[in-house]
Amino acid sequence: MLEARAIAKTFHGGTANEVRALRGVDLELEAGSFVIVIGMNGSGKSTLLNAVAGTFFVDSGTIRLAGHDVTGWPEHKRARFIGRVFQNPFSGTAADMSIAENLALAARRGKVRGLSWALPRRFRGTLQECVRSLGMGLEDRLDNAIGSLSGGQRQALTLLMATWVKPELLLLDEHTAALDPKSAEQVIRLSEEVIARDRLTTLMVTHSMQQATALGDRLIMMYQGRVLHDFRGAEKQRLRPEDLLARFEEVRRTEQLDESAANMLRRMYV
Amino acid sequence: MSLLVGAWTVGLILSLLALGVFISFRVFKFPDITTEGSITVGAATAAVLLVKGVPAPLATIAGAVAGAIAGALTGVLHTKFGINGLLSGIIVMTALYSVNLRIMGQSNIPLLNVPTLATDAEHLGRALFGVESIAILSWSLAVRDALTLLLSVVTIVLIGTSLYLFLRTHLGTAMRSTGDNDQMMRALGVNVGNMLILGLALANGLVGLSGALLAQYQGFADVQMGIGMVVWGLASVIIGEALVGTQQLGYVVVAAVMGSVLFRLLVAVALRAGLSPNDLKLITAGFVFAALVLPNAVKGLRSAGGRQHA
Repeated sequence: MLEARAIAKTFHGGTANEVRALRGVDLELEAGSFVIVIGMNGSGKSTLLNAVAGTFFVDSGTIRLAGHDVTGWPEHKRARFIGRVFQNPFSGTAADMSIAENLALAARRGKVRGLSWALPRRFRGTLQECVRSLGMGLEDRLDNAIGSLSGGQRQALTLLMATWVKPELLLLDEHTAALDPKSAEQVIRLSEEVIARDRLTTLMVTHSMQQATALGDRLIMMYQGRVLHDFRGAEKQRLRPEDLLARFEEVRRTEQLDESAANMLRRMYV
Repeated sequence: MSLLVGAWTVGLILSLLALGVFISFRVFKFPDITTEGSITVGAATAAVLLVKGVPAPLATIAGAVAGAIAGALTGVLHTKFGINGLLSGIIVMTALYSVNLRIMGQSNIPLLNVPTLATDAEHLGRALFGVESIAILSWSLAVRDALTLLLSVVTIVLIGTSLYLFLRTHLGTAMRSTGDNDQMMRALGVNVGNMLILGLALANGLVGLSGALLAQYQGFADVQMGIGMVVWGLASVIIGEALVGTQQLGYVVVAAVMGSVLFRLLVAVALRAGLSPNDLKLITAGFVFAALVLPNAVKGLRSAGGRQHA
């Protein structure tokens, strides 16, 4: 489904702020797999998702998606295959437009937008049913502006929008990080439901060790722009939050070791 | 009376400009200065074609198309070459000044002796009523003025309705949300750059149409006629929004038209009362400044007062 080969990306190359965000990532996702991505801040998790989505072009490497080489495709063209939910609840919905209009926009993802009505009457019935399935009581507020909703409600709607046209690949970028615990739980439950129901190939970044161990059938841990660990199958199912924290601790110690070694060398030679 | 009818007619014609400004400034949140050049290019194109004997409706449409091309050009400069939006408009507007002089061959084209939509209206009126003037409530009103006003009303209703319906199609909805949240629209597969180019073409097409109609109504096209038109359009949009509100899409379209007419009437009354025409643009600019700043200032005062009470 998704096949990333040796993708690399450097931001602000050649300046003092140079960041080597991705340093040769290989990643292959089978159709229907649900992959969790974890890693410390700056490890390249979100950059990986953005590279796949086409927010920027990678410096080297290739990305294949649903049988196409999409490496040189702009973001809006890749959107044919990709559904996305962002970390910021404001990013995935248009605040000044109504719930119904937002969903109508999502229903045309990857299709030509012509001069037929965006909201024909027969579409409203479908809308109402789908919005009711969120269990948030929004089905009677279809004409309200999205801006009047809470972050949790907006994120639930963004999830519905991202999966309205069944995507080949669903990208969830810490989509519950900005929510209160109760809304986060609700959005996670909805995500699980839709992913299981439509057997969506999913790549989900999270900071929550609890989500990382409870969800998905595969987990990759990133470190300094590379994939450090890749847990699959039974190994993934056995993982506990403590195991992941232990791995992070390992990484931290390695970093400290690097630093103290560097300090020692500096004292000796500089 | 004829002063009021004239103000109504010009207000209606300029409401097309207000609708254009509404699309670029409000829908796309794009500060599009092209407007000042595209109203003139619309007027110039129509005027030259009229003098050459092209039928008035065709010449008018050509004016709109010329405006649309100017708008698309600004969009291309911004999206394909990455030039700042405001600067893109300024570049196109500046270039248009020379282009307009080239189109017209001189700085002013009079349209007094050529058939225009205004003379068409006059002929239509003569055929309908058979007289030069009619009496409404004891005022005598030239048939030409009455019919021009009527034609303007019909034109604006038609265009306003079409615009409203367009904004509710898939394409129109995508256009509105591109201005609202372009990140989301890219994720939903929309080429937001092309959407902006299309939107600016639509906006400046309306402005060009407004220019073409204005030239025919006032009987000349002039290379200077675009100066201050952005602020004029903004003032209309702001007045309309204050009057009608922005809760619904239909309101917003009506607001731009009503704002334009009301603003023109206010100006006509002020000029009649002795305001110097030279001061008009200063006062318009001052008005827009106040309309932009006052709502926030009032809000600031209120919350400051609230804090004292608390």
